[in-house]
Amino acid sequence: MDNKGFQALEASVIKKDLCTFCGACLSLCPYMQSWKGKWVKLDNCDLAEGRCFAYCPRTKVDLENLHWEAFGQSYSNLEMGLFKKVKMARASSPALRKKAQTAGVVSTLMGFALKERFINGAVLTQRASDHVPSGSVVRNPDKILSCAGSSYVAGPTLEALNRGPWEDKERIGIVGTPCQVLALRKMKGSPLKKTSQIDRVSLIIGLFCTWALTYDAFMKYLKNKVNGGRIRKLDITPPPERLLKVTTNDDRILDVSLDEIRPFIRTSCGVCLDMTSEFSDLSVGTVEGVEGWSTVIIRSDLGEEIFSRAEAAGRIESRPLPEENFKHLKEASLLKKKRALLKLKERGELEDGYLTLSSELIGRILSEVKEAE
Amino acid sequence: MNILSRDIPGKSTLLMGNEAIARGAIEAGVQVCSAYPGNPSSEIIGSLSQVAEELGIYVEWSVNEKVAVEVAAGASYAGLRGLTAMKQNGINVASDFLLNLNLTGSKGGMVVVVCDDPSALSSSNEEDSRIYAKLGDLPPLEPSTPKEAYEMTRWAFDLSEELKLPCLLRSVTRLSHARGNVEFGPLLKERPRPRFDTSRPSIPLPTSITHKALHDKLKKCKALFEKSGFNLYRGPERPELLVVTAGPGWLYVLETLMNMGVENRVGIVKLGTTWPLPRLFLLEHLKKVYHILFVEEVDPFLENNIKEFCAEEAGHLGLKTFLGKASGDLPDIGEINPDIVTEAIQKILKISYQPRPLQYVQKATEAASLYAPSRELGFCAGCPHRATFWSLKNALAMDGRDGIVLGDIGCYALGSQSAGFNQLKTVHAMGSGVGLANGLGQLERFGLGQPVLTVCGDSTFYHAAIPALINAQYNRSNFLMLILDNSTTAMTGFQPHPGTGKTAMGSESPVIDIETLCKALGVQVRVKNPFDVQDTIETIYELLQNREGAKVLVLKQECALVRAKRQKALYKVWVNRDRCAGKECGCNRLCTRIFKCPGLVWDPVTGRGKIDEAICTGCGTCADICPQSAIVKETT
Repeated sequence: MDNKGFQALEASVIKKDLCTFCGACLSLCPYMQSWKGKWVKLDNCDLAEGRCFAYCPRTKVDLENLHWEAFGQSYSNLEMGLFKKVKMARASSPALRKKAQTAGVVSTLMGFALKERFINGAVLTQRASDHVPSGSVVRNPDKILSCAGSSYVAGPTLEALNRGPWEDKERIGIVGTPCQVLALRKMKGSPLKKTSQIDRVSLIIGLFCTWALTYDAFMKYLKNKVNGGRIRKLDITPPPERLLKVTTNDDRILDVSLDEIRPFIRTSCGVCLDMTSEFSDLSVGTVEGVEGWSTVIIRSDLGEEIFSRAEAAGRIESRPLPEENFKHLKEASLLKKKRALLKLKERGELEDGYLTLSSELIGRILSEVKEAE
Repeated sequence: MNILSRDIPGKSTLLMGNEAIARGAIEAGVQVCSAYPGNPSSEIIGSLSQVAEELGIYVEWSVNEKVAVEVAAGASYAGLRGLTAMKQNGINVASDFLLNLNLTGSKGGMVVVVCDDPSALSSSNEEDSRIYAKLGDLPPLEPSTPKEAYEMTRWAFDLSEELKLPCLLRSVTRLSHARGNVEFGPLLKERPRPRFDTSRPSIPLPTSITHKALHDKLKKCKALFEKSGFNLYRGPERPELLVVTAGPGWLYVLETLMNMGVENRVGIVKLGTTWPLPRLFLLEHLKKVYHILFVEEVDPFLENNIKEFCAEEAGHLGLKTFLGKASGDLPDIGEINPDIVTEAIQKILKISYQPRPLQYVQKATEAASLYAPSRELGFCAGCPHRATFWSLKNALAMDGRDGIVLGDIGCYALGSQSAGFNQLKTVHAMGSGVGLANGLGQLERFGLGQPVLTVCGDSTFYHAAIPALINAQYNRSNFLMLILDNSTTAMTGFQPHPGTGKTAMGSESPVIDIETLCKALGVQVRVKNPFDVQDTIETIYELLQNREGAKVLVLKQECALVRAKRQKALYKVWVNRDRCAGKECGCNRLCTRIFKCPGLVWDPVTGRGKIDEAICTGCGTCADICPQSAIVKETT
């Protein structure tokens, strides 16, 4: 296809239900927008080339090229991307930990980066009272916690980066899911980046992600489940329990089996090869960790600097990640890649889909991983 | 002083067909005139309304055509002369009353003018109103020229009084809007005093009596038509071909025969009174030939009636070959013109005739493409409908349930085309949008997941939408009705309506407020300004989420053309060329490619949009939709 603009995006991503709803294409132009948790087309754009197509994490993704651009080396660490260190960490403040989803590491690091002027603004994901996620810009470190927590629903965080408005020379930190981090990496390398804000982005904290849910369908289901009550918090417990715990405003807690919510997982998550946000400065998540602790993958010099300074400042506590947990993390990450490749194959998109990956690497991923569970 | 009201017998004046009808009625002493506007008929009542006061006659824009006919009939029952005018769709609305009125008959001369719109140049449908003449046994007169329109109108009042039956006068677009010389007669000075004779009730029952009486009137009419000077024959004693025609077809045939030089070979029967047929007159001329060609617009009305007549008179007339719509010699739809007639006669007479050089059409097309910009039908600059459809489009996209928007009759019917971002999915008759919404709005029970919307203009609302809205409220149909209130009857030429506070004769009248009326019905009503695009989008979206019953959103903003006459632009609008992104990613000419207000122009030299200051009415909507905030609106 010659068109590498909106029409191509529509044909190869939207119509194939591969949109991750990362927000990379939004607030760039008047032809699409986000509304109540979904991507909305408003009009046709016939440009042959557009930023929407260029930045999308589900249009051409050549992992080998992207690795060369990002790290100056080949895509070789198949398990979870390049990294310097892997640790376990948590926020030192118990009050902060209580408000956060797991251990408060992401909130603490972003707040620290703002306070220490590594960055001037943080692009985070905020959830409205109806749980609609949206990108939000936070400049005051004390306001970070308003964006803590997760609803497991994909949100157009990067829209806030595109929308701004940004002041001259403002530097930005972003917390994003693997697809959002991938989109940021594509922005950085795109010849169409001239009119984007990507050069301001100085710090990327990636989240671990196995999948995200579609807002509409999931919320409809939940509303039914809580019988009209209001939902305060959603939490998925780690294995072996693996339950969605729904806390309502009147402090009821409902346990929902993950099998019940699987139908609401976005199709695009099924073809995602990245569990640990491999293009971040630093990635944070929970994989069979110790309760109240997060796993942290430090990938870049900047990531390392911020983490160690936050630790030195007494804001973060860390411990080595036990070997067993590290092994599980790598297995889980590789398993996501294998499943994604099989899904692409099933969709007939392994050769001619969004992903460009050598057959040698495909072969290695498919053979190295054994189904762990 | 308006020429139409001047008492200047013998004066020859160039009049539009519709003005000629108006003058004919004035000379006939018409006292009550009523209509709902509709092209191509609007100028009849329009011009009468301008002279009403000085002539001491009553003229009104009625709320719809049925009421208009009833108003004129009221006058007729009291012994006054009444005239009503409408387009072809109008007679459908009026027909229920007309098909009772025929049975009771009229008293003072009553003329019902119906202006058909062949090829639907300014209509939603194509229709031949003459079918009502036969259906209702109401005699139609068919003028060919403005002069005849004037003469026939004047005579139609006498005829109506003689028959005690309303007369139809059928015009078509090319007559109503063409101009020709009319020689004025004197104005009738005497005006009867109205009185309704209560001893003679007008009730169509029992039909055994009234229907019989109607047929007797028609027999009398037939005798009168035999002597009418509006029916004539022109041509040789023994023509090879006889053309039977009526209306402007007469002129097309004359022109064709003259150009082809076959006037000595072809005869023309020109009928001005087309039902009931003047049988003796026809017998005399049909005898002359074997080949008969019918030239008339829209339906084969004369063609079929004369075929029937020839079958009845086969003993006298013998076998004929009929040429026309049924034989395929003429198109069975649309307007006709001299080219079409030329082609048919050429074929029938086996003459090779080239009306113009072969390359003419090609050259004309080339010349047009050089000098005339290619334009689609569109809303005027600053038209509030554009803003409304923009908001509607966006709200539906955000809603994402593939909402169905049902259209109605008015300028906003263009909403089915690119001007309205192709939002309308149906357009039928006046008020039918909300009527259809009533039906679709009941289908959620069967699993219809699409929200139902309808748009309706203010004048259309008063005309035919109110009963449907009452139906919806009472039967709990679920839809959103947008009333596009531009405070005028814009499409037909800014006639006043019950929401404007003015009458046809220019006097003031209390406004019948749409919002208050809807509230009185118990319908949920909101009122917004469509130029406030974001507010309108959010309101439409919000109302779509409410699935309980009928909701009305009145989008109130005066028609740009009316506003421009009254006040200066709301804003001075200009484009900041440094901010304009033109064709670049991030805009790609949203304003000139999608929004397409004629006040915005694309400048290919600078690659930027700009404002055409001569056209821009300063509504400021484009400033709100510009993604780069490059369009600036400054309060004037």
